[in-house]
Amino acid sequence: MDIQDSNPPEFEGFGRWLYRVSALLALIGSVVLVGIVLVSLVSLVGRKLWATPITGDVEIVQALSAPALACFFAYCHLARGDVRVDIVADALGPHWSARLEAFGSLLLGLVGALIAWRTAVGAVSLREVGESSALLAWPIWVSQALVVPGFALQAIAGLYMAVHALRPAPTSGGTA
Amino acid sequence: MSPTTIGYLVFAGLLVLIAMRTPIGVAMFVAGAAGYLQLTDWNVTVLLASLKNLAYARLSNYDLVVIPLFLMMGQFATKGGLSRGLFNCVGAFVGHRRGGIAFAAIGACAGFGAICGSSVATAATMGQVALPELRRHGYKGGLATGALAAGGTLGILIPPSVPLVIYAILTQESIGKLFVAAVIPGLIAVAGYLIVVRVIVALDPSAAPAGPLTAWPERIKSLIGVLPVLLVFVVVIVGIYAGWANATEASTIGAGACGISAIAKRELGLKGFIDSLLGTAQATAMIMLILLGADMMNMALAVSQLPTQLASSVVASGLPPLLVMFGILLIYIFLGCVMDSLAMILLTIPIFYPVVMGLDFFGLSQVDKSVWFGILALTVVEVGLIHPPVGLNVYIINRLAKDVPIGETFKGVIPFLVSDFCRMLLLVLFPVVSLFLVRHFN
Repeated sequence: MDIQDSNPPEFEGFGRWLYRVSALLALIGSVVLVGIVLVSLVSLVGRKLWATPITGDVEIVQALSAPALACFFAYCHLARGDVRVDIVADALGPHWSARLEAFGSLLLGLVGALIAWRTAVGAVSLREVGESSALLAWPIWVSQALVVPGFALQAIAGLYMAVHALRPAPTSGGTA
Repeated sequence: MSPTTIGYLVFAGLLVLIAMRTPIGVAMFVAGAAGYLQLTDWNVTVLLASLKNLAYARLSNYDLVVIPLFLMMGQFATKGGLSRGLFNCVGAFVGHRRGGIAFAAIGACAGFGAICGSSVATAATMGQVALPELRRHGYKGGLATGALAAGGTLGILIPPSVPLVIYAILTQESIGKLFVAAVIPGLIAVAGYLIVVRVIVALDPSAAPAGPLTAWPERIKSLIGVLPVLLVFVVVIVGIYAGWANATEASTIGAGACGISAIAKRELGLKGFIDSLLGTAQATAMIMLILLGADMMNMALAVSQLPTQLASSVVASGLPPLLVMFGILLIYIFLGCVMDSLAMILLTIPIFYPVVMGLDFFGLSQVDKSVWFGILALTVVEVGLIHPPVGLNVYIINRLAKDVPIGETFKGVIPFLVSDFCRMLLLVLFPVVSLFLVRHFN
């Protein structure tokens, strides 16, 4: 499926591919979020009208929300949605501004990699302990493990943007 | 090096990173992690062990899901044409008066704020709808952009409000209580902005010409179109407070109702739906990244004991509590010059909250004080959205109004800032304004 976007960035090659993958992941995450809305609504209506909520609705929301939210980070960074303070960088001119942007993206990538790694390790130890949710007995480690791909993609997005920021802006003539 | 000194160094490092254009969440994470390492004598294993659960614990927090859901509700409302409906409705009633279109812009911002938890989104959405109308009717540039930039702040002043959710999560306060407490201050904010427009029009009648008169049948029709907004607001706020839905359930009702209504009105096609989802994803990630950074930072600050040390030294200093409060508010206003409102709340609440809770204000109980300070913090970070030099809302509106110079917009915002400062004084000196509804409902 072609992902429609109101303002797709100017990436080429690998960047364009990475952007599409990130947008697709973000879309999957937000569809899961819509699923959370439906589960919670059905449960609420069921409880109020027929006193029959969905069993473990809170557990379902928790188990789904973490993987869903983790899907958003890479897309947000590639779409330049992060909150940054630009005053100092703008004052320094485009040369330094690009270097600072690369530095920020690099840090974001490293933080993403660190979180992905540690969360994966945490998921493995949760699996060994065999911890599961109270009502549905869902294994917690699965939900935690599903958080890892989002942060891994954030790591790739950060590193890509660091390289991208340092590349000279394409001139209007442009070489292939 | 004493732990408190390291605590201060964490803050210094954070500010340097932020100035270097690092995404604020990442800056908080890195500064916090470095401080934590220093505090644990560079015992990397301790840090690595605590990171195993940090992200998952944060992202699977049940209360926190309200943030993406309120953002989604705002997206559906925007794409579903609700912003135009609101503007047309208020305009139908007051548009024929002098300054009426500006009244309509502010009223519509207030209505949109009642289903949207973000100021920037409110400013951007209402700006797109109202700005062309204001200019078409010959409103002066500074008044048009100023009213919309200020009106946009109603997005967070009127609940639901993302900064209040974050305050509630940081301080273990009830989201519902804070939302209810914010209602009267939010209405006062609307009244203040309307008065400002009225005064400007009285001083310079040419700044805001009257629009056309709308007949009653048209008015009623436009009113029916925005009834869902009112319904969603009442369900969300009353539902949370009366206790028949928790905040997360209420936000799912809001998101579901706005989504279904937008699809039913045939305003939201597949493309609009996908855009809404991607918009939600981006806005959510922006906030969650800052939250993750704040978690790391707060871990370091807790070990450094800086917050408790600071709180006890402020209490021991014997300074008048109100002076301390004004000092805190002043710090917020300065921070607002360089920082985003959420980052400000996340950074400062762990420090200031213990200070405020340790002092005596008008003999308020701890519970009341906690709600009251939440409303004050919300009010003061909101001011940061419109005052120079950063004033995010001002830039957003100005980007839409290509013919109005940024200087004129900042000048146009000043009267609204005056109204903000008056309201802040009122809220500080009369806590009952924030606490009345909360007590009444109890």
